Amino acid sequence: MRALRRMWHRLLGIAGLHRSERDLNEEFASHIQMLAEDLIRRGVPDEEAWRRARVKFGNVPSTMEQYRDQRSVPFIDATLQDLRYAWRLMRRNRGFSTVAIVSLAIGIGANTAIFSVVNAVVLQPLPYRDPGQLFAVREVRTDKDTAVFPVNPAHARAWAAECRSLADVAILSNSRAQIGAGNEAAAIARGARVTHNFFSMLGAEPMLGRTFRAEEEEPGLDRVVILSESLWRARFNADRSLLGRMVLIDGVDHQVIGVVAGSFWTAFGGGVSSSPANNQYQMFRPLVIPIDQRTRLMGNYNYAALTRLKPGVTPEAALAELNVVQSRFPAMTGAGGELGALLIPLQDIVTGRSLALWMLAAAVGAVLLIVCVNLANLLLSRVAARARETAVRSALGASRGRIFAHAFSESMLLSGFGGACGLLLASVIVEMLTSTPTVQLPRLHEVRIDASVMVFALLATLATTVIFGVLPAWRLAGQLPGDALRSSGRAVTDGRQGARLREMLIGVEVGLSTALLIVAVLLSISLNRLLNVDKGFDTEQVFTFDVDTAGPQYEDAEGRSRFFDRLLARLDAIPGIQAVGFTTQLPLEGNSWNDAIYRDASSERHSVENRYASPGFFDAMGVKVLKGRAFDDTDRARGVAVLSPKAASLLWPDDQDPVGREFMGEDDKPKLLVGIVADTRAVLQDISAPHAYYPYWQRPPGDVAMVIRSRADADALVAPVRNALHGEDPTLPIAPIEPAQGLVDGSVAQRRLQSRLVVLFAVSALLVASVGIYGVVAYAVTRRRNELSIRLALGASRAALMASIVRQGMTPVLAGVAAGIALGLLLGRTIRALLFGVHATDGQTMALVSLLLVSVGLAACLIPARRATIGTTLDVLRSE
Amino acid sequence: MSPKTEVWQGTLALMVLKTLSAMGPQHGYGLARRIEQTSEDALSINEGTLYPLLLKLEQEGAIESEWGVSDNNRRARFYRITRAGLKQLNAEMSQWAQVNEIVDRFIALKGEKA
Repeated sequence: MRALRRMWHRLLGIAGLHRSERDLNEEFASHIQMLAEDLIRRGVPDEEAWRRARVKFGNVPSTMEQYRDQRSVPFIDATLQDLRYAWRLMRRNRGFSTVAIVSLAIGIGANTAIFSVVNAVVLQPLPYRDPGQLFAVREVRTDKDTAVFPVNPAHARAWAAECRSLADVAILSNSRAQIGAGNEAAAIARGARVTHNFFSMLGAEPMLGRTFRAEEEEPGLDRVVILSESLWRARFNADRSLLGRMVLIDGVDHQVIGVVAGSFWTAFGGGVSSSPANNQYQMFRPLVIPIDQRTRLMGNYNYAALTRLKPGVTPEAALAELNVVQSRFPAMTGAGGELGALLIPLQDIVTGRSLALWMLAAAVGAVLLIVCVNLANLLLSRVAARARETAVRSALGASRGRIFAHAFSESMLLSGFGGACGLLLASVIVEMLTSTPTVQLPRLHEVRIDASVMVFALLATLATTVIFGVLPAWRLAGQLPGDALRSSGRAVTDGRQGARLREMLIGVEVGLSTALLIVAVLLSISLNRLLNVDKGFDTEQVFTFDVDTAGPQYEDAEGRSRFFDRLLARLDAIPGIQAVGFTTQLPLEGNSWNDAIYRDASSERHSVENRYASPGFFDAMGVKVLKGRAFDDTDRARGVAVLSPKAASLLWPDDQDPVGREFMGEDDKPKLLVGIVADTRAVLQDISAPHAYYPYWQRPPGDVAMVIRSRADADALVAPVRNALHGEDPTLPIAPIEPAQGLVDGSVAQRRLQSRLVVLFAVSALLVASVGIYGVVAYAVTRRRNELSIRLALGASRAALMASIVRQGMTPVLAGVAAGIALGLLLGRTIRALLFGVHATDGQTMALVSLLLVSVGLAACLIPARRATIGTTLDVLRSE
Repeated sequence: MSPKTEVWQGTLALMVLKTLSAMGPQHGYGLARRIEQTSEDALSINEGTLYPLLLKLEQEGAIESEWGVSDNNRRARFYRITRAGLKQLNAEMSQWAQVNEIVDRFIALKGEKA
């Protein structure tokens, strides 16, 4: 208790809340005076009395010192003193301090921001029960080009029944739907149809109401809906009484039975791993698998499946079991070929872009490291300048530890300010990231500056302090005071060892910058190659918008078919529209509807992308007809189709011109091949999959993507398109009209952001490194001024001297470039998956980056070298 | 025994507290005189060393201090014992008495050869 109280008073003492020194001095003086007066009264002569009084009192300064140490906590007192000193020093060197704090703030801020994203998106486990046991399943053709498909629901049922290592299998499919009431403008919500076990398998309990029952997967009993919390809040104002009430979905009443909290992300809505469609679901309805599909083992790879492994089961064991079941199917259908399965951890699917995130984190970490190294370098050159002052301090009795602490406190203060500014900057960056629509990362809304991010920022700050502060402080504390005092202060150097150290640091800076630049160039080349890839269609003057039909009048296929006939006629009549058509799935929107085509009942089934399109689609989208023709109205009476070259060669590998031949289509009916159209890419970076196009009237779709080729811009199209749609049906929702270039931009948005960030990081690294090189060479030149001028006076040529300076400056640069290329090669291999059309060991890239760094280094050396050899010898010698 | 005995800190604290409790508020000089008188000049302290001790006691809350005027009209800082200080004094006195008693028993010990 007493000790505590004393500590508290001591802390108060630090804060200066106790008696001042003057007060104490006064007390001492009065004590001594009273002693002296007493003695005088007893007859001692004045001078003698004072002397004896002082002797009796004891040593005033040492008492004072003892008092001081006791008054507060000496260690903290000294630290505070150091910090005060560092603060004064910092304010005196405003330029240096500003550069240091700003560069640290940028470094720490960017690192903290990227960490907060990595933390939320990758490091935090998915908010499900035991998420490590959750996997997405895909089907794989193992015999030929190992094509990966979504899942056939009958296969998924077989896995659930037969594989004992699986705890459960849930099936789902994407379903966009309009949600709303009556004539009120309906909103389109991204939704999924899921089997009843979906939520229980994930371990996601509803926050309100219940989840689906098994019987709700039957046709007619499926008019129930579970809303996501976000949709419930946004559209229904978090109304609890909504439970049990009806809402209109696609014009049909559905009963709201539950609300689920949190977010459900997928990157697997029917697509394969590279599908860009990573959606956040807003509502769920029961999955009703049509009766005819329940036992159909052939084709129909149109669903996604998730599974939970039983506790303790390894993915390898589960996969082996799955493959046994899979291997039976080709023989059972007589289709031939070999079928396998693929298990992908759910976490990987949801955060599939984590490689890019790690790359960004590494890049931004490298920038911070370069900033630190550079600051260490700058501080090191100041070590020499402060050597005399330190020597004096150490001669007066300051311990090495004290000098170290003294020098280190400046770094501490700088990085403290840098870290604080960095945290502010990070929160700004995070705010910007989460509100930028082009940044589409799953779980991005979970990104925030929380406790763990704060801890990260603190650790980053501490680490930077240690990295850039320890070396200079150690050098300063380690020098012998005699050396520094002996040199008259004019030519104070930190010796051979110090120069070596700084050259090494330069090497590190250059190496890291080189590696970063290599990665940046590789990514930029990839982006460029990707943008120029032959997509198989045009985007210029092409616009698209979605048409989603909903309501009882569209239940009937014939009705839908006639609706689209009339709508196309209306749109075609709009002046300025050169061509109009639609398809069920636009290019670059991912692989989605996969089904089989085959020559005849006994021949092999080939899985291809299915599209239902209108005759005008090819013209409107600029998909070239390579052979034959596109289908048209004359084909209404018979089954026809158009194939891409890849699909045609699957059916007829040897026939160069199969137009006019017949094959079996997706609906198992004979189709006449009327033409071959160009391959289009479903995913920009993947080679085109084989496609089959059928005229829409053969299987009238409910939702289509309309494509318009027009000279007018999007704004001018809005009014006439709305009139056409509402002329047909006033309740139709009007989707925004987007330029088709958006398809391309959308699929490269992530890459564009990544490569821009990396280029930004690399350029800043290069700048910082060039400042570092300049600093070191300039400092070396200053140190060698005497020597240089004497050599000049003795007849050395300026060119030879410059060469010697440049040689000295470039040695660490060249070493750094070499190390950087090695590092770049290593990094390039790691990020292979992010590259497109360029090899990780691209020689041109390496040469370009080396050339760039060598020329930047040369420039940074030449400026001080020139300056050193320009002054006349006399100037230098006179200044001695 | 040398006439001027060195005093160690623990006992000095007891002396200061007892002096303050017996004789009322004192300034530093007065305290030094009273201690000297009470010990009948057997003790000599470096009077400066009183002050760190006074600070320690004050930090512990055993005494408090304020500026006042001395008998001969000098500004001086007066120290006064607090209730906590009285308690501490009592505790230390009984402890001291106990130690004393024990040591006395040893002194009174009659060795076989004595």
